[in-house]
Amino acid sequence: MNLAWADIRHHVLRFFLTTIGVGALFTATIGMIGLYRGVVYETLLIINDVGADIWVAQGHRAGPFAELSEVSGTLDRRLEGVPGVSQVRRFIQFNQQYEINGRRLRMAVTGLDFPKDKGNWIPLIAGRHFYAGHYEAIADQSLGFTVGDQIRLGHDDYTIIGVAAGQVDMAGDGILYVTIPDAQTLNTFAPSEAILLNRMNKTAPGRSGYSAGRVGAVMVALRPGADQEQVRNYIRNWGDVEVLTRDDQEDIMLNGRLWRLRIQILAFVGMTLLVTTVVVSLSIYTMTVEKTHQIALLKLLGARDSIIVAMILQQALLIGVKSFASALLQSYVIFPHFPRTVLLLPSDLAVEGAMAIVLCAAASWFGIRKALSVRAQEVLS
Amino acid sequence: MSAAPLISVSQASKVYRIGDAQVRALDEASVEIRAGELVGILGPSGSGKTTFLMIAGLLDTPTSGRVLFNGRVISKPETNLNQLRDFRRKHLGFVFQKANLIPFLNATQNVQIALQINGARRRYAAQRSRLLLEQFGIGNRAKNLPSQLSGGEQQRVAIARALANQPELILADEPTANLDSARGRQVMETFRRLADQERIAICVVTHDLRCVDLFDRCITMSDGRPTVQ
Repeated sequence: MNLAWADIRHHVLRFFLTTIGVGALFTATIGMIGLYRGVVYETLLIINDVGADIWVAQGHRAGPFAELSEVSGTLDRRLEGVPGVSQVRRFIQFNQQYEINGRRLRMAVTGLDFPKDKGNWIPLIAGRHFYAGHYEAIADQSLGFTVGDQIRLGHDDYTIIGVAAGQVDMAGDGILYVTIPDAQTLNTFAPSEAILLNRMNKTAPGRSGYSAGRVGAVMVALRPGADQEQVRNYIRNWGDVEVLTRDDQEDIMLNGRLWRLRIQILAFVGMTLLVTTVVVSLSIYTMTVEKTHQIALLKLLGARDSIIVAMILQQALLIGVKSFASALLQSYVIFPHFPRTVLLLPSDLAVEGAMAIVLCAAASWFGIRKALSVRAQEVLS
Repeated sequence: MSAAPLISVSQASKVYRIGDAQVRALDEASVEIRAGELVGILGPSGSGKTTFLMIAGLLDTPTSGRVLFNGRVISKPETNLNQLRDFRRKHLGFVFQKANLIPFLNATQNVQIALQINGARRRYAAQRSRLLLEQFGIGNRAKNLPSQLSGGEQQRVAIARALANQPELILADEPTANLDSARGRQVMETFRRLADQERIAICVVTHDLRCVDLFDRCITMSDGRPTVQ
């Protein structure tokens, strides 16, 4: 006979509500960590998947993701001649808002260097990769397009030829892949009136986007066995460009742009865990106080302290296990509907589960202390 | 009846401090109870009956004096209460005014818990619990929770629990106070039978004078002292 389990079965509604409440707090913790993982995943998505060993960006800029970068549209020709270089592709990405079918859509327009890059590395869930150099687009599913849709961007109509999964940028905007020339066209698109005014006023400040014919960066793939450092130094010696490896990009993004977010989320996780500990402690303590008479009786019957401690600890652990199970269920049901990716990594969940157990065990300390202070003779009172 | 006492409370005093005042709840009380004896402890409220029960039941230590069990000193002022726990578990049984059943355990489990605390195997504990409940005529209520039992049935479960570990001494505190006269008489007759047949020493603290005919002896407490034996 297990006293903890028998008590829980007797107060099943309260136990259920406690686990739901504590589970909701664990869900919030899982969500915050998952949100951070999601942001990291989305931030590094292109860096990791596009297959570039080196990024060549504007000089003294940590581009093209952490800082705005603009390089000549012919830089790729120069890079093709560098010893050790296998392939070069131009890259351009910018965020714009369009009104399509009455919907306002923010999207991260990303240019691929067709025909060298047909987007074969993009995970499609429908459609195909690029066949043509113009007016084709691959859209992330979050943008809500289906294969065959015609959308008007700027002055031109584009056909959605493929729908991809999980393709969003660091801001959470769905990515729309087009070819480099199309991306440049979209980037320089302006209403007729604005073009006219710009012609009249040559001194007017320039747009914040890329200049005509320029790209954000050039991606370099190295030959097998090529010395990355050697290639890097070779290019850097030109003096007009910055050379960043994939590791550099990761470091800049994670320890630069996402550093504050990481600290912020860590602080929120800490606060949530603290609140959870207090809630579980209070629940266990209340349950213990309510059982004072029964605990005194058990002591009168000669129960060792270990039996009393085990009962309270087991209840705390059951709350921990059931709450975490409830949190997992809530997470898998709720988070897929969130606008940003909440990435639930098994390793994170394992650590969070272990933390839930440890936290609930620690929270039982107040209840255990109370129980041990109960005297057998209190039965007579 | 054996001449040697099973339990001897010898010259036991218990003094409580309440602020600067001292309250002498038990005043050099000496009581002996033999195996098979049913003894009533009578007296008005505040006469020291419950304090005597706590000292004899090893729930508290005396301020002075000692408690002997089969001639061996078990409790004295410097004794640690935790040391008395093991002895209490093996040799003593308790019955109270309220049945004090654990509300989330059914009748069988309420008896079984006393056995399991004493290290009995689960299967044996369950079998013995059911047997005891049947002996007390409530075998058909074995699966019922305390809230589903009448006051008399609850008290019978409590007696079954007190007997679970085959104690040599049962201490009962007002066991009939919450029962009508017929049920109260049944409980006292049960104690009488246990004393006669099982040779268990039973000490009953009570206000109820309707059953004194069943006692071998009555001890009247007054101002912390047994005055009439």
